[in-house]
Amino acid sequence: MANPLTPAERARAGRDLVGVVVAIAAGTAVCAALDGVISLTSQAMVYLFAVVAASYALDRVGAIASAVGAVTAFNFFFVPPRYTLAVEHREHLIALVAMLAVALLVSTLSAALKRETAAAHASETRARQLRELAAGLLAAERESDVLRIGREALARRFTGPVFLVGARDGEVDDRTAIPDDVARGLRCCVGEAAVLGPGTGRWPGLDAWYVPLGPRDSVVGAACVAPADAADAVGREHAEAIAALLAQAIGRLRLAEANLATRAALQRQHLQSTFLAAVSHDLRTPLTAIVAAASSLQQQRARLPVGEQDRLLAAIVADASHLSAVTENTLQLVRLAAGGEALRLEWQAVEEIVGSVVARLRARPGGDRIGVRIAADLPLVRGDATLLGQLVGNLLDNALKYSDGPVQLVALRAGKRLLVSVKDRGGGVGEADRARVFEPFYRGGRIGATRGAGLGLALCKAIADVHGASLVVSARPRGGTRFTLALPVEAQPEAALAT
Amino acid sequence: MSLAVLVVEDDREIRDVLRASLAAEGFDVLTAVSLSEAAALLDHARVDVVVLDLGLPDGDGAELVRRIRRTSSLPVVIASARHQEAEKISLLDAGADDYLTKPFSVSELLARIRVALRHRGTALQPATTRYARGDLLIDVDAYRVEREGRPLHLTPTEFKLAARLVRAGGRIVTHRQLLADVWGAEHVHDTHYLRLYMGQLRAKLEALPSEPRHLLTETGVGYRLVVD
Repeated sequence: MANPLTPAERARAGRDLVGVVVAIAAGTAVCAALDGVISLTSQAMVYLFAVVAASYALDRVGAIASAVGAVTAFNFFFVPPRYTLAVEHREHLIALVAMLAVALLVSTLSAALKRETAAAHASETRARQLRELAAGLLAAERESDVLRIGREALARRFTGPVFLVGARDGEVDDRTAIPDDVARGLRCCVGEAAVLGPGTGRWPGLDAWYVPLGPRDSVVGAACVAPADAADAVGREHAEAIAALLAQAIGRLRLAEANLATRAALQRQHLQSTFLAAVSHDLRTPLTAIVAAASSLQQQRARLPVGEQDRLLAAIVADASHLSAVTENTLQLVRLAAGGEALRLEWQAVEEIVGSVVARLRARPGGDRIGVRIAADLPLVRGDATLLGQLVGNLLDNALKYSDGPVQLVALRAGKRLLVSVKDRGGGVGEADRARVFEPFYRGGRIGATRGAGLGLALCKAIADVHGASLVVSARPRGGTRFTLALPVEAQPEAALAT
Repeated sequence: MSLAVLVVEDDREIRDVLRASLAAEGFDVLTAVSLSEAAALLDHARVDVVVLDLGLPDGDGAELVRRIRRTSSLPVVIASARHQEAEKISLLDAGADDYLTKPFSVSELLARIRVALRHRGTALQPATTRYARGDLLIDVDAYRVEREGRPLHLTPTEFKLAARLVRAGGRIVTHRQLLADVWGAEHVHDTHYLRLYMGQLRAKLEALPSEPRHLLTETGVGYRLVVD
């Protein structure tokens, strides 16, 4: 061999030489001990046994060396004339040649057997590793898990540095903590969708293999493993097998992800169309009433009694105000859902918020049915005053709409929560409807009874959510409904220093 | 001589309705469709009160308000939609007198204009220092506060707050204005001071603090004392 031996190979050659010498010496010792007791033929058998044993332990070169050495030693020590390499009888010469042939054949066979056993063992190990890898990947729920498991699997087989990255649309995902040359190799590997490195015909000068995850057009990542030897086809195939499993796992996760996104998009679309249908209903109904009343006044005023004219005018004002409230709720809900607008979270006094809402509602028909009870010394809460006002206003508005009796607003502190309840003695919300009243446009059995509650409670819920508060509806023991908003009470701000 | 109102509004329908209803109340009505037209009219015509729509096409209403405030105490009432909250507050801070939230009724508009006009020329007149309405009396000069004829004790800060609102004469005072005037300019963001002290003040001034009749909260904007 032109190539100089590596230290490992040199050490191995040394071990083999010792093995050959030990085998021959052992054979010679046994024959010498039994000299005169057994025949020359039996002594030849002892040497053959030593050769077979040495061949199984050593590689092919060692096996041949032990065969030649054993025949030579047998000839030298035991075949007459002893202690020379000369052979007296032709018969002995034929026996020696036959023995050499048998020894060579046996040693070759046993070395081959050993090699095959080792190969079978190695391939079984690889198969087991791949099975374990496949099982591990099946449990992976995130791409990062797949990459982590993949790195471990590659590191079990390849002792050099191992790199593994995901890729999307021909672009490597993440290049942090990867040396520049490796990153370049990974990029090329993803781009060409082919194995690069020694023995592949592509970039044979590299000292590592670059293996793409997945076939062309669907490369989901790439791995870089070292050491890479052109002769180590098995190692390269192992790396490719691991890569195939990883590609499968990542492909599965990405498909699931895409499915989920599609389903979410469909759901959003459905919600949007429900939303549009309901908004257009909520907007169109009062608009229809306004147009009817206004056109009636425009065309028939002379024929309408004065009382009827007043009624139509009042209807226009009432419907327009209602329209304004629906519009405000809709816009606010859309704004909150979009999440783009920053909330103005400031310290707020519930007493103030409730006070201004109640003052506004008092002016409405039925507004005098509202009773307010607010505990003294309530803590301040962090919130957006306008939104919280809208929440309380919608709850009171609903209660006034759906009941004829008294409507009570109670605010009190309960531990780490500040509770604001709005209670009525109306028909109540059925058990089945309770979970759904906060869905946009759910009207339960109230369809047609009173128009346009569609968005109010959904907005209330959305406002509660952005304040980290809960909003629940429950039935009251002796009839009626109770909505309870539970706002979190945080550590209070330091009070002003002035008195 | 009747009072002149300048309505700055870019929507023709709203402009026409406001013109008609204000004229019916006996005002001389001038209209402008943009800030620049409004500025030109203010230079050349007599105007007693301005009704200013927010979100006009040619820019920031605050600039116009600041310009007006440099030379006069001409009352300015803002008409804004809910989503223009921030702009509305910045105009009030710049010196606008009051605001209306769209949609508003004509009676609301007239009430706001009346309150704003009450302070016409206050720059030259002594400021309002006395509030007497129903069961409540606040006399700033005499440092006296009474409810149902009985004197109330206010802490110095509570009194400063009450006095600031009395001087506004029924007009809204924004959070920023109150904080700056009572605690100082470095405290304009400490709105929790207001929550705490206004709570105390309501507890003392109001018969039913949860349903105040005098000291009203303008949610997200500021406070005002109700005048009849």
